[in-house]
Amino acid sequence: MKTFILFFVHGITYSGLLFLIASGLTMVFSMMRIMNFAHASFYMLAAYISYSILLRTGQFWLCMLLSPIALFVIGSLVEKFLIRRVHSFGLVYDLLLTFGLGYALDEMVKWIWGTMPLHLNLVFATSSITVFDTTYPVYRLFILAVSILVIGMLVLILFKTNLGIIIRAAVDDNEMANALGINIPILFNGVFAFGAALAALAGVVAAPLFTVSTDLASLVLIDGFVVVILGGLGSLGGAVLASFIIGQLQSFGVLLMPQISMIFIYVLMAVVLVFKPSGLLGDRK
Amino acid sequence: MRKKILFVVGGVVLFLLAPLVFGLSEIMMLNEIMIFALYAMSYNLLLGYGGLLSFGHSVFLGFGAYITGVLLVHYPEFPFLALILVSTFGTLIVGFTLGMFLLRQTGASFALLTMAIGGMFGTIALKWSDVTGGDDGICIFRPDINLYIFQIDTTSVTAFYYISVFLIGIATICCWYFTRTCMGQTVLLIRENETRMQFLGYNAAISRLILFTVAASFAGLAGSLYMLFIGTVAYDVISIPMSATALLITFIGGIGSFFGAWLGAAFYIYVQDLLSGITTRWPFFMGVIFILMVMFQREGLAGLLSRCIEGLRWLRGRRGRTKDESKQREGHLKVA
Repeated sequence: MKTFILFFVHGITYSGLLFLIASGLTMVFSMMRIMNFAHASFYMLAAYISYSILLRTGQFWLCMLLSPIALFVIGSLVEKFLIRRVHSFGLVYDLLLTFGLGYALDEMVKWIWGTMPLHLNLVFATSSITVFDTTYPVYRLFILAVSILVIGMLVLILFKTNLGIIIRAAVDDNEMANALGINIPILFNGVFAFGAALAALAGVVAAPLFTVSTDLASLVLIDGFVVVILGGLGSLGGAVLASFIIGQLQSFGVLLMPQISMIFIYVLMAVVLVFKPSGLLGDRK
Repeated sequence: MRKKILFVVGGVVLFLLAPLVFGLSEIMMLNEIMIFALYAMSYNLLLGYGGLLSFGHSVFLGFGAYITGVLLVHYPEFPFLALILVSTFGTLIVGFTLGMFLLRQTGASFALLTMAIGGMFGTIALKWSDVTGGDDGICIFRPDINLYIFQIDTTSVTAFYYISVFLIGIATICCWYFTRTCMGQTVLLIRENETRMQFLGYNAAISRLILFTVAASFAGLAGSLYMLFIGTVAYDVISIPMSATALLITFIGGIGSFFGAWLGAAFYIYVQDLLSGITTRWPFFMGVIFILMVMFQREGLAGLLSRCIEGLRWLRGRRGRTKDESKQREGHLKVA
């Protein structure tokens, strides 16, 4: 029973991380119809940036503030100077562009920080808490708290503010929203940059948990995409549900059948897509 | 038309004469270029003709390679040509089966689904180490060709090069012929306007499935030759980077241009070789070249070439294409 709870919590914290990554992806997709292949590279870049900030200042909260801001700026520039120019040519060229960008970013990171895996020295990341005589690392709970906070924030923004109404309108029919006087290009720019910032936040909180290495991006890219597809492209609720499922599946898969645990998520995804092509909570064709 | 045939015959003669001029390393590079050109050509059938963006094409390359490899591990004396036939048809069956599931989706969902399938088979290749060798992969020696009338020792680089030229040449002709048949044209038209073709009584789903199966089997052939060429295969043959290689080569050559795959493969392999000699960070420059091409040269090298030819014609005072006509050709690629 104790092991069960432990792995359940483990799965949930991983779900939190996955959600942080997938939420940016799914938001950008639902708005702009762009599958952003550079998303995981943004995530990795943020992890490296936060490593550098932590090395200079030693303040983790500064990493959590500055890395997302840096990636917000980078994302905004990428949208303005690269993606906007090829967006009208169709889905394939968007994909190709972000793919090339991811390629270049991955190598740039290797260039700047080298190929050796880096360790973040964070006291707070190694301490643990004891509840009902079960010891659990505090940091994993912190990740969970951050992701719940982000879910709450997204829900508040989307459903309680004026900006949320505008975003939902643009998702529904961006041409009509444009005709009604909403500045769609700026909105797109903002959403793309915000997606990059969410990836950055995921990168910052993931950095102390894993070692910061160059295959950070490829490790999480597939899981992130699986979450987005499984939940339904563009569905935020779907992303929450799917990241919960994938997190549990990974956690208990490792516990019960370590040999084939990696295959589970693909099989699950294939099965869901065969029976419900739009994903678990996606309604759009 | 006559010019085109002349061009192709010239190309074939060049490939045949190459071993007389070049050293061994250049021949190996040419061989690699040919194999990747075949791989990209099969991918171009999907993307360029069918408008299907796939991120799992390396599954078929991997199947071709693993079928060849596993057969050779268990039966080292397996006949060379039978090996290639079995791999190709094996992959054809795999392609047909997977196609039935994958093609229920189109557009972005199809791209992502193929990516997941790629991940699945990549993981299976890694974990099922009894058969695939897992992390270490499998190593093989090329069997000799023994046709009773004559025998060929395939261990020599030049001999294998000529075999590749022969097999890939035939595959290219088959591929080209396929695009000229009614079937090939149907697929092209379905990409352009699916509703209309369905209205005219064509079954889009079956046409796509046939295209997918054909593309898979050519990729399987490429995989089989890749295995025999390199002599070793590991799980990373089925991976996103490997699938992306097909996309990169196809795009660099020119999406939808039949011989673009050859240009793209030559460019990709050559530049990769060149850059990796200069710097270890060559993927960065590949990425930058790629971004620049998406921004400014969406028709790929084939488009650049045809534009150059037009420019030359214009210089010589002949009637080139008018501006409107050239504009129409610019890549507004539709994805189903």
